[in-house]
Amino acid sequence: MGMLRALYNSPAVGELQHEIDERMARIPTRLNAYGYDAWGFHTETAKRALTVTALLYRYWFRVETSGIERIPQGRCLLIGNHAGQVALDAAMIGAATFLEAEPPRIIRGMGEYWLPTVPFVNEIMVRTGSVVGTRKNCIDMLEQGECVIAFPEGVRGMNKLIWERYQLQEFGHGFMRLALETATPIVPIAVVGSEEQAPAIANLMPIARLLGMPAFPVTLTWPWLGPLGMVPLPVKYRIYFGEPMHFEGNPADEDDVIAEKVDQVKARIASMLADGLSARPSIFW
Amino acid sequence: MARVPFDTPEGLFHFADPEPDPAPVIAPRPAAVTETWSHPRGGARPGETVLITGIAGGQGRLIARRLANTFDLVGVDRHPWEGHPPGLRVLTVDIRKRKFEDVFRTERPTAVVHLAFIRHFRLGEELRHEINVLGTKRVLEYAIAHGVKRVVLLSSSYVYGAFPDNPYYMDEDSPLNVSRNYAEVRDLSEVDTLATAFLWRHPEVATTVLRPVSTLGYYVHSNMGRYLRGRYVPTIMGFNPMMQFIHEEDVAEAVALALQTGTHGVFNLTGPGAVPLKVAIHESGGTAVPFPETVARAVFSRLFRWGLYPTPPGAINFLKYPCTLDGRRFQQATGFAPLFSLEDVFASVRR
Repeated sequence: MGMLRALYNSPAVGELQHEIDERMARIPTRLNAYGYDAWGFHTETAKRALTVTALLYRYWFRVETSGIERIPQGRCLLIGNHAGQVALDAAMIGAATFLEAEPPRIIRGMGEYWLPTVPFVNEIMVRTGSVVGTRKNCIDMLEQGECVIAFPEGVRGMNKLIWERYQLQEFGHGFMRLALETATPIVPIAVVGSEEQAPAIANLMPIARLLGMPAFPVTLTWPWLGPLGMVPLPVKYRIYFGEPMHFEGNPADEDDVIAEKVDQVKARIASMLADGLSARPSIFW
Repeated sequence: MARVPFDTPEGLFHFADPEPDPAPVIAPRPAAVTETWSHPRGGARPGETVLITGIAGGQGRLIARRLANTFDLVGVDRHPWEGHPPGLRVLTVDIRKRKFEDVFRTERPTAVVHLAFIRHFRLGEELRHEINVLGTKRVLEYAIAHGVKRVVLLSSSYVYGAFPDNPYYMDEDSPLNVSRNYAEVRDLSEVDTLATAFLWRHPEVATTVLRPVSTLGYYVHSNMGRYLRGRYVPTIMGFNPMMQFIHEEDVAEAVALALQTGTHGVFNLTGPGAVPLKVAIHESGGTAVPFPETVARAVFSRLFRWGLYPTPPGAINFLKYPCTLDGRRFQQATGFAPLFSLEDVFASVRR
């Protein structure tokens, strides 16, 4: 504990906090007199969370980002591959858009329905910019020009096993209908690295059901080492932002029509993943 | 009196910073229904006779003062209103009694503002049901029988219920779910359902059902006001939902606007914005005391049963999950903008 505090108070972290303060003052998200936005995002809480994720971003995963300037101003939907047992890929994309994009953007996550029922987690989730992933929340946020992130694979992607890494699972259709309805550009994202951060060898669904969780992964370290087993491997992250994709059509079309558009996004992410995988020298650097 | 809002109304959002939004304009939604929320009959004209039920309550008094100079006011209440302003007639009548219909016969009101509800839990479920549900049924029946042209009814935001999967900013089409986890206030959602059914069955009457968010102020005795006025305020550990508040004077103004613009429909009524529960507690001068949920449910259900705590344990859900509303429909229909900021709202209940 003492060591963590010493780290948090070190000059390097102080400098990082200055940088975060400076960037937070420039986010396009608008706040009320108490520092909260309309969905409970709170700058002071978010700054603390971003200090931690920025440290992970720079020193643990040593993230390399390319194409971040492709994120359009105003509303957009970021769609990526999802993996790694815990949503660190979302946190790293959030750190990238906050630390590297101009102007800095807060990404708005669409959380699983069980998250709001978990004490403390629900509050951290909301204060750092995410909300429960309902249709109305997503539309309201897009209409206010926010940058919403969604992983259409959901837990199917996040909790897949190590031998299924970089195999995109079935994509949900909801994001495409919302994009059509609100005329929102879709930015495809490929995250290389996250899929090896916590290699799962099994998913114990009976235990997950018992605990009311969507999955209960078993990795080389979890649950054997207790909380320490949740520490991810120091893999090298590479995040690729693709050109925005614009779609037109009737959001109420039947599934086959929507699926064809969803597949275009999925194919784009798959090809970006393949490029990223062939370009990387190693999992760890 | 001219009303100048502190912030410009920007739909749901009332921000400190009035800079224009740099976001691009969204293309109009396909197949958007151009709904009008005004009744062909138009608004109430000055001098019309308006009947206010529950006039002696905090909100009733404020609404009466707001309307007194414009309309010919008659009020009924179970309790007398000592020292009411001159020029309005206050009758001490119980809406459950036969004498109540006589008020319609003799006063011949053309508009009714129905506020006679019991929202606290001190008097037992039966009385609540009689006054709230059966009372509303009578008011609406007499309105039809005696040719009333306009009805405004003050429901509440609680009818939607507080649930983990509630979107922020629920619109008026969201289901009324409160009885699923807070059965003690099901009479209020029944009242709301009665009123909306009346709205569809009698298109000839301009009916407005208002669902205001938690109302705070000096005169109104709301459950939320009572809760926030405490020195030590119980909360649920690990939960801190966003909450919306509105000042009692803004509610009175909204009722007046509904009457004068002749709205016809169901409307959420939102105030100057949302803050987390614990900010609201702090701003109104209290100290939040977090309880683990299991302890809170066990303790407060017993305290409520023994009459030592005013609110049933179902209310705990409102301390965990959001029940926040989209108030744009009413703003668009009437031009309503809250006059009182969040700071003013909290100052009105500060100890």
